Amino acid sequence: MTIIRAIRRWLEVRLGIDELVEKQLTGYLLPRNINAWYSLGSVLLVIFGIQVATGILLLVYYVPDAQKAFSSVSQIMNDVPFGWLIRMSHAVGSNMMVAVLLLHMLSTLFMGSYKSPRELNWLTGFILFNLVLAISLTGYLLPWSQLSFWATTVATNSAGAIPVIGTYLTEFLRGGKLVGPATLGRFFAVHVALLPVAIALLVGAHLFILERIGVSTPPFGLKETTNTWQGDRFRYEGHPGGIPFFPNYLLQDATTIMIYLAVFFAVVFFDPYLFFPPTAFVPADPYRTPAHIKPEWYFLANYQTLKVFPNELLGLMVQGAAMTFLALLPFIDRGRERHPLKRPAFLVCFIGGIILYLAMMIWGHYS
Amino acid sequence: MQTPTRRTFLGICLGGLAAAGAVAAAYPLLSYLAPPSTGSEGAKVSFPETDIPPDGAKFFDYRGSTGVVIRTRQGQLLALSAICTHLGCIVQWEKEKQDFLCPCHAGRYSPEGTVIAGPPPRPLAKLPFVVVNGVITVG
Ligand code: FES
Repeated sequence: MTIIRAIRRWLEVRLGIDELVEKQLTGYLLPRNINAWYSLGSVLLVIFGIQVATGILLLVYYVPDAQKAFSSVSQIMNDVPFGWLIRMSHAVGSNMMVAVLLLHMLSTLFMGSYKSPRELNWLTGFILFNLVLAISLTGYLLPWSQLSFWATTVATNSAGAIPVIGTYLTEFLRGGKLVGPATLGRFFAVHVALLPVAIALLVGAHLFILERIGVSTPPFGLKETTNTWQGDRFRYEGHPGGIPFFPNYLLQDATTIMIYLAVFFAVVFFDPYLFFPPTAFVPADPYRTPAHIKPEWYFLANYQTLKVFPNELLGLMVQGAAMTFLALLPFIDRGRERHPLKRPAFLVCFIGGIILYLAMMIWGHYS
Repeated sequence: MQTPTRRTFLGICLGGLAAAGAVAAAYPLLSYLAPPSTGSEGAKVSFPETDIPPDGAKFFDYRGSTGVVIRTRQGQLLALSAICTHLGCIVQWEKEKQDFLCPCHAGRYSPEGTVIAGPPPRPLAKLPFVVVNGVITVG
């Protein structure tokens, strides 16, 4: 024990970890009425870590070649010891990541945490959301199954509705006129190199901004701090009398992470094919489109929107407008009130938006 | 009021749980990364005798490594491991000189596998084989 203490002491003298811990962890105060929803960010961080780790492991055996991709994935699933565990964790994890991300966004919206002065937090988070959707889409193609192939065909096709550059853009995305080996190559590069780095950088920015400005006070529960941000100069929003991040809130983070992991492993072990339609198990065949090709659940609403509008361009524009509105929400919604019950117009839009999204999703699923 | 013993006990429990969790994560991970066992231990390799050219050699995969069968000018068949005993390069059969040359450090072996020249410390390992109806079976 003394040797460990001696090493600790030696490092302490040189690195001053205690001071860092004091400033960033034990001395970092959060609002006293902070709730469990705020821990979803930590859950997402853990999910991202799991995705990176399992992704690197999958790279050991996966072959990004249209001739061999499907069989290499089958080999991972059937021959490599625990290959099924690694692959299923990666595939299930990606779905869970989108789900938790949606919850994280909804809680931020509901509690008004996106409001000034946290516009940059919201913006970086919003970009992260889009990057996660993109990494899910590109990862979808890699197993080179019928599902992958046709889902990618449909998804890249919608880019063709953009006037003037549409056709060129579709071909650019596909690396050819049709989805083929060239598409696999570029999606693979984007999935394993470009997007993970971009996501990691943005996560860093997101956390940095959060740390600088401070965590927002939830609009309910005991009110011991008020939003005193003036907007004249930088000021960390302190929470006098709040709870320290470490150990108090870290325990809440750990609890939520454990709950998440329980749900995650329940799916991985007991219903791993929850997110897999049968076409995921048939090798890609460019000459045969399977019936009822549907995107992943998180793209169902978008898919249905495209079908509802008679004109593809119109459908894309509506979605683009909705996304732009969401991205710029903190700049549009300037009111200082953050309690949802005192913002009836917001609450109506919030609930209406969720119902609309779910309705489009269910409609898309059954249509 | 927490007594130090209870705190220690809970600490040990937590440490035990963490260790169990680490093992539970490490076991599948190591199994996943471990090289596949070829399951070829004791496997035999067969091919027709005609595969070997006159005073030539045939190299083949043998239990995860490389073996060679040669036919000497006298028509004698020999099966050897093709792994040089020096640092593990694959030896070459030199038809004209009727010997094995290791290209890495110029080790030389006779057709029987004994060292003629160069650094190799031991002769090439002999492989057991039988010839039945013109089919050579090594192993
Ligand atoms: S490895 Fe063959 S002579 Fe050195």
